[in-house]
Amino acid sequence: MGESKKVKIAKEILRLRFGQLVVNEKYKAGQFKIPIHLAMGHEAIAVAVDLMMDEKDKLVLSHRNIHYNLARTGTLRPVLDEYLLKKEGLAYAELGSMNLASEEKGVIYASSILGNNLPVATGLALAEKVKRSGGLVIVVTGDGAIEEGAFYESLLFMKSNALGVLVIIENNRWSMHTKIEERRTEIDLPKLAASLGAGYEKLDGNDVYRYVEKLKEVKKKILEDKKPVVLEVNVTTLGGWYVEDKERKEKRFIHPHAGPLPETSLVEWPEIERSANDPVFALQEHFSSDGLKKLSQEVLKSIKEEIGE
Amino acid sequence: MKYIQYINEILGRKTAETDGLVLFGQNIAAGSHISGLTKGLRVGKGGIIINTPNSENTLTGLGFGMMLGGVSSIFFMKQLDFLLLGIDQIVDTYNFVRRKEPKASYTIMPVISDLGYHGLQSSFNNFGDIASVARIPGFTITNKIDAEEIINAHLVSPGFRIIGVGQRLFGDEILDVPKVYSNNEKTLFQYAEGDKATIVCFNLSFPYGWELYNKLKERGIDSSLFSVNSVTPIGWQKIIEDVSETRNLIVIDDSKSENSSCDNFIMNVLEKCQIKNKIIVKREIKGNEWLYPNPDLLQIDYETIVNKLS
Repeated sequence: MGESKKVKIAKEILRLRFGQLVVNEKYKAGQFKIPIHLAMGHEAIAVAVDLMMDEKDKLVLSHRNIHYNLARTGTLRPVLDEYLLKKEGLAYAELGSMNLASEEKGVIYASSILGNNLPVATGLALAEKVKRSGGLVIVVTGDGAIEEGAFYESLLFMKSNALGVLVIIENNRWSMHTKIEERRTEIDLPKLAASLGAGYEKLDGNDVYRYVEKLKEVKKKILEDKKPVVLEVNVTTLGGWYVEDKERKEKRFIHPHAGPLPETSLVEWPEIERSANDPVFALQEHFSSDGLKKLSQEVLKSIKEEIGE
Repeated sequence: MKYIQYINEILGRKTAETDGLVLFGQNIAAGSHISGLTKGLRVGKGGIIINTPNSENTLTGLGFGMMLGGVSSIFFMKQLDFLLLGIDQIVDTYNFVRRKEPKASYTIMPVISDLGYHGLQSSFNNFGDIASVARIPGFTITNKIDAEEIINAHLVSPGFRIIGVGQRLFGDEILDVPKVYSNNEKTLFQYAEGDKATIVCFNLSFPYGWELYNKLKERGIDSSLFSVNSVTPIGWQKIIEDVSETRNLIVIDDSKSENSSCDNFIMNVLEKCQIKNKIIVKREIKGNEWLYPNPDLLQIDYETIVNKLS
């Protein structure tokens, strides 16, 4: 990958992070009437998916979709305006956040109901097959939604009807405020996918460059094999905080679900966690600290100019 | 010709002449073909027919996905209660899709389980319940005229709707009744015009209304006969004008839920008309007997009604 492309991708990670930090500041200030599910920590897969998509491809999202919408839109303003329910918004103030989609940007559908987007993506893929358009349908879901019957049903239908679909499972191990181990047994996704004849791939570590390469391979394979592939992506939804719990001696961790992140702020270097859980931190594998900070300043300046602040 | 054979014949004509159409559902091209509903159906150029797995939630969403992708489809469903498994799709997904001018058509065609011997599911016979969850255009088929007009107008037209057929009527000869009027939306049909009484049928009760009409006619009582084939709000004016003339109203609704479509009409007509005789024929639900296997027929005392209006 050439240096300019590498820089462009790093700037995208930073743009998605800064965009969300701006939204969070406005959220904290009480400017939104709608619920918004921030996805800080999920930027690497969103940037990689955006780079993988061509004009024929179609993206189907869940309620936590800000990262993909920012990636596909390429700018913050229309997304922000949608959240502010302005007519200039990405969906003309018709959809708000949880259902935010934009056909012009290849985002065909987004659902606020857990698992509901999987059947719709299956139908989209069937339509692509009938039209012989050659486009790839990508559907994004999570570790909570795979508990729904629609996940199993949709994979079954996709494989039974030779539909090549990329099913991305963003696994942050949380569903609202319960961890996987607090609500269910582990699901062996490789075995579940294999039992239905679907492929399985996994990504973790938030190295966006590795993600980009992997998605290229997976896309090629899906279009050749005409069968679904489950891509599990380990993510950490960043920005959680601790609160006093009178019933317990120790503080209680609040995992970010919907709503503002009270202890996360817009700063010049937008790293939230000093570990590979944070895609911004993970960029340091590829750039010097000074180089990244310079890029960061450029991106922040550009975003502030865009929103007139 | 039997009710189900006639509907199958019209469906066959319509699907065969439609290119790029996807027909899907459980056993639609196998076994009894949903008791004959989908027997021998063909699709036009580029279309496909899929015998699906038993995954009703995904199947319900599938049609919306195809609609978003510009492909028209029909989901044939063996029992209306199966649609309860896809209710998020007919509310949330439909509400997303309906915001824009539709490019394609999506029709769900369920069989309304109104045979009492089929068990507990037959309590769910009110087609209006399912259509009202998101103000979905919904149509019931009760005779030759409404079958032809509803299927031809709506089956593959851009947009989403549910068209229900009544299982109780499958083996009956299809009623061939001359039409006086139907509105453009095919939600209201009038089959007779009289000056002595107004009969208004809801859900799948048209055969009862037709029988009553004939019994009244034998006694020299000319009545108007309407069938309301939809649950979404419709203009009642046509019926109200008729009731204002006859001042004798008979409402028949064979549905079993608390949310009957006829209630909205009754409220409107009582507000606007001075009525001499008002006869409401609805289900009487007593104890749990209605949940046990039973003949599931609406109890209607034709003789008493005829005597009252004589």
